[in-house]
Amino acid sequence: MRTAGVVGGGVAASVAAVTASRLSPPPEVPTGKETIRDIPEFKTVEINEKSDILIRMQAELKKALAKPVEERRWMMVIDTRKCVGCHACTVACIAENKLPPGVVYRPVVQEEIGEYPNTQLRFFPRPCMQCEEPSCVAVCPVNATWKRPDGITQIDYDKCIGCRYCISACPYGARTSDFGEYYTEDTPELQPYELLSSNEYGKSWNREGHNSPIGNARKCHFCLHRLNEGELPMCVSTCVGRANYFGDANDPDSLVAEMARQHNQVKLLEEKGTKPSVIYLI
Amino acid sequence: MLERTYKNLSKIWMVVFSIGLVALIMKFITGERLAGYGSYVPWGLWVALYFHFVGIAGGVFALGTLGYIFNLTGFRENFRVVIIVSVASVITGLFAIWLDLGQPFRFTRILYAPNFGSMMAFNAWMYTFFIITAGVIFYLTLNKAKQTDFHDKKRWVLPLMSLGFLFSIAFPSQSGAFFGVVDAKPFWSSPLLPILFLVSAITSGGAVLLLVYTFLHYEEFDLTHQPFKMLRYTIIGGIIFYFVAEFAEYSLVFWSPNSHIREAVELILFGPFWWVFWFVHLGGALVALYLLLKGKTYQTVGTGAFIVAVTFVSARLNILIPGQAVAELKGLKEAFYHERLRFDYSATLNEYLIALFIGAFGVALVYFGIKFLSQFTKKKLGTEL
Repeated sequence: MRTAGVVGGGVAASVAAVTASRLSPPPEVPTGKETIRDIPEFKTVEINEKSDILIRMQAELKKALAKPVEERRWMMVIDTRKCVGCHACTVACIAENKLPPGVVYRPVVQEEIGEYPNTQLRFFPRPCMQCEEPSCVAVCPVNATWKRPDGITQIDYDKCIGCRYCISACPYGARTSDFGEYYTEDTPELQPYELLSSNEYGKSWNREGHNSPIGNARKCHFCLHRLNEGELPMCVSTCVGRANYFGDANDPDSLVAEMARQHNQVKLLEEKGTKPSVIYLI
Repeated sequence: MLERTYKNLSKIWMVVFSIGLVALIMKFITGERLAGYGSYVPWGLWVALYFHFVGIAGGVFALGTLGYIFNLTGFRENFRVVIIVSVASVITGLFAIWLDLGQPFRFTRILYAPNFGSMMAFNAWMYTFFIITAGVIFYLTLNKAKQTDFHDKKRWVLPLMSLGFLFSIAFPSQSGAFFGVVDAKPFWSSPLLPILFLVSAITSGGAVLLLVYTFLHYEEFDLTHQPFKMLRYTIIGGIIFYFVAEFAEYSLVFWSPNSHIREAVELILFGPFWWVFWFVHLGGALVALYLLLKGKTYQTVGTGAFIVAVTFVSARLNILIPGQAVAELKGLKEAFYHERLRFDYSATLNEYLIALFIGAFGVALVYFGIKFLSQFTKKKLGTEL
């Protein structure tokens, strides 16, 4: 009984500390017009319902970027009926973000429905869900990961201590650790493409020695560096089946918001309470 | 007899330490590339050792404090040994987890830029306060008129000891909560986990303390006297309680038609590492129980305590690994193949060797701690620890 009281005291102290930390403002939250360059107008392209959805989303992206960052909310909708499981998005993401072996931001999960011979394949590309209530943020012991006001969960590689608690806490397995491996490390020399720097979270990163992002947790960031340049995430641009929709969920007229209102939309592992910003159409 | 045992043990220690040191150097050169954990099972053997050692620290301090307060023979006059063993265990645990960090030289961030919403930061601060409290208690025990006295001259020992006791109970149970708060892993989301961690901490901590007392005082006390009596029965009770609680948890899984943690429990009992449960965990506990119950010599009782201290790391492994080895998102395993993206985990040779080094490091801290501080107290009080 006495022991229970002592443990109870420890738990009460933990709850108080957790509450206090949740009430304090998150660190390094961007505000206002974050980097936006002079994005060219689509003067020669008429945007209507017959336009390629990429053109429409590109225009909507520009509209969203004109708003302060806290008024945007990036969302992705993936139409599984259109996805053919070509893995082009996975490969494009690896090339865009210069991902090393063992690090993947957007694998395509394959699901078999029914029993043989009445079977069907369905594909679920799985980027970071950019959850509204991300479990990875809550567990980070050093505030190295946080939620941006535009909905993207950001990692500060310079702060991350590489404890991998966030990796354990993500129910989607969306975070991977960079173990410092190279595709060509057992060959005579590393190839130049392995040494290219990646552009993540507004910085250029060179993978050398034990420097970040080696030893850090890594994940999809909706190609934040591309968004800031007025470009769609690489997986969206690359999708041959136009199965990906991306844009500002705060704009009710946007294509992505329109798709998110479909009756056949689902969210992965919704029971976990993380409120993902990636929606699947089934 | 004891001299020969010491000689043999120091030879074994030297070999283990040297081999482990080579593995440790390799680890610092190559980073994490020689480790077997990956992104889907991101925590392995070193993390299990971390939880094992901080559990031992808590158990040692909690039992030592109880012995002190209730004035059981051998506890009050040896309380500084309790502090040394406990602090050495915390430091060893922290060393193990420090090695596991991807960016180990940034660990201080957890102290100056913590997120107390994270159980990890909360634990780190608790260890820090515990080490400081234990250090102050050590100092205060030097200010007692007689070592068997309850209070020091300024009567600060008892309040601080109570605080230390609170920490020693709280941080093993919070180690359980560390996993319990991870909603992504259903196997860990059990309210029983903090209790299991606390019980295993008391059990393995009691075993380590018994082992230390055996080496230090086997000539002075009879096995039927304190502190051996209290520690023996605590360990026996702890083992029985742990297995009853474990049985309760596992049996519910098999009685429930659609238990969401069935896969994890099946992995423990019948997976590729089934022998860890049946041979190391259960087998080790049964052998230790027999030796502790029937043992009439220091050698047998000490061996029983040693078996508990070592094999209870399997309790940690059996919580840690199966919790991670079951994917919540089915199909993820096949979605993208790489060695680091697998849901099975086997510790590599480098991990095992470094684990040995961690153990040798802990033993060295206890040994040199007692040796060095004995000289210190000898100068200060005219008596050894």
